Amino acid sequence: MAADLIWAVQIYLGLGAVAALGFLGIGLDRIDENARGAWVFRPFLIPGILLIWPLVLFRWWQLERADTEDTEGQGRFRPPLLWQPRLALLLAVAVPVMILGAMVLRQDGPNEAPAQLIEPAQ
Amino acid sequence: MSVKYTPVQWNPNKWVYDAVLLAIVAIYISVFLRLGAAEADVSRPIDGAVLRMRAFGTCAFFMLSAILCIGPLARLDDRFLPILYNRRHFGVLTAIVAWTHATYVYNWYFNFSQINRLEALLSSNTAFGQILGFPIEALGVFAFVILLILAATSHDFWLSFLGAPLWKRLHLLIYLAYGALVAHVALGYLQDTENPTFALLFSAAALGVVGLHVAAWQVGRMRSAKGEWVAVCAPGDIAEGRARIVQLGPKERVAIFRYDGNRFSAISNACAHQNGPLGEGRILDGCVTCPWHGFQYRMADGCAPAPFTEKVPTYDLRLEDGQLMVQRHANPPGTAVDPLAVTGMEATP
Repeated sequence: MAADLIWAVQIYLGLGAVAALGFLGIGLDRIDENARGAWVFRPFLIPGILLIWPLVLFRWWQLERADTEDTEGQGRFRPPLLWQPRLALLLAVAVPVMILGAMVLRQDGPNEAPAQLIEPAQ
Repeated sequence: MSVKYTPVQWNPNKWVYDAVLLAIVAIYISVFLRLGAAEADVSRPIDGAVLRMRAFGTCAFFMLSAILCIGPLARLDDRFLPILYNRRHFGVLTAIVAWTHATYVYNWYFNFSQINRLEALLSSNTAFGQILGFPIEALGVFAFVILLILAATSHDFWLSFLGAPLWKRLHLLIYLAYGALVAHVALGYLQDTENPTFALLFSAAALGVVGLHVAAWQVGRMRSAKGEWVAVCAPGDIAEGRARIVQLGPKERVAIFRYDGNRFSAISNACAHQNGPLGEGRILDGCVTCPWHGFQYRMADGCAPAPFTEKVPTYDLRLEDGQLMVQRHANPPGTAVDPLAVTGMEATP
């Protein structure tokens, strides 16, 4: 199972390397005018492309299709702030539960008293 | 307007910021290595490698806690805004510290494994069905991968390429990473230590993060707009050449600027370049100047001066009972709106 997972990750990163080659060599200049002629910063993008290459390819295709026009319209002025408080409130419930739980359910705590293998002497 | 990408965008303020960060990390690691052994369970002395991995692990946790506190602190009090601007460097440094911790774990606990070390890390504990003894390695790996993704996509290019909404959604993963890290520490190191010092610091940091987020959320709700016209403040409450930022809803902020003494204009708080906070910028050469990359917009119509073509939405303003009121709904980007001139206030040339 673990070996399969590692193999899948290696395949994923290998495909990411191919995607990085194509995107940095061809795509970047086509979809971002600020990147044209700027080469020194490109190696900094490689780790990100390796990690999220499906998203990179999707966004590249989206920008090519839109002929590099703004694809977000008015939405770009409205960052998705809705999910931030939701996640923060979820964390506000989960974090105290986890800390309290870890304090109460300690491995050497009252709920995990060591098994007595020998009867105590009378 | 065009800004060519550079590997790292540094300026004197960011140099100072990064130097202070590095100094704090170095001091923390040094102090932990000196005092940490004594803080551990004295009945089971720990070796140097374990001490070092704990030093870097706890450092990464406290760094991430600090990063998560910056956002709500800046929303609660403007004086924290300067530490918000370079938060991305803070995040990258945190990922590097976390990487060091992971490297120590990988090279110490699994070094003499008969199978591949990574395979051993993933398969040595698979007791996912129990709380005590839960495989904390999986929680750590999950949080670490998220930290890597966020650090790797922190360059300006990614914000521009993915677009602000998608980039922001991606970076909201930080909350999942933090939750996993709290569980990683609570079920890991916290179980091992007998000394209350770390438990207290850990609890204070984690509860501080969630407490500040709840407080900022509550304040944001109170400040949120209701109705078609939203009360901002008295005109005199806005300093000359500066802005007041108002949250119009969960997704929208407007910046109301004062200039020429008694004139007021309102534009979107989000820069058309990379959603920089225009309301925190200054007025230079008669234009609002984004504090992130210097993109400029005329206040009267939200357009960048020629030959540039960027536009941001504008908002209507009016004065009612001595209060500035802003229209809840934005005009399309680049719509001209006459500035509101407040009589009784001194105009400056």
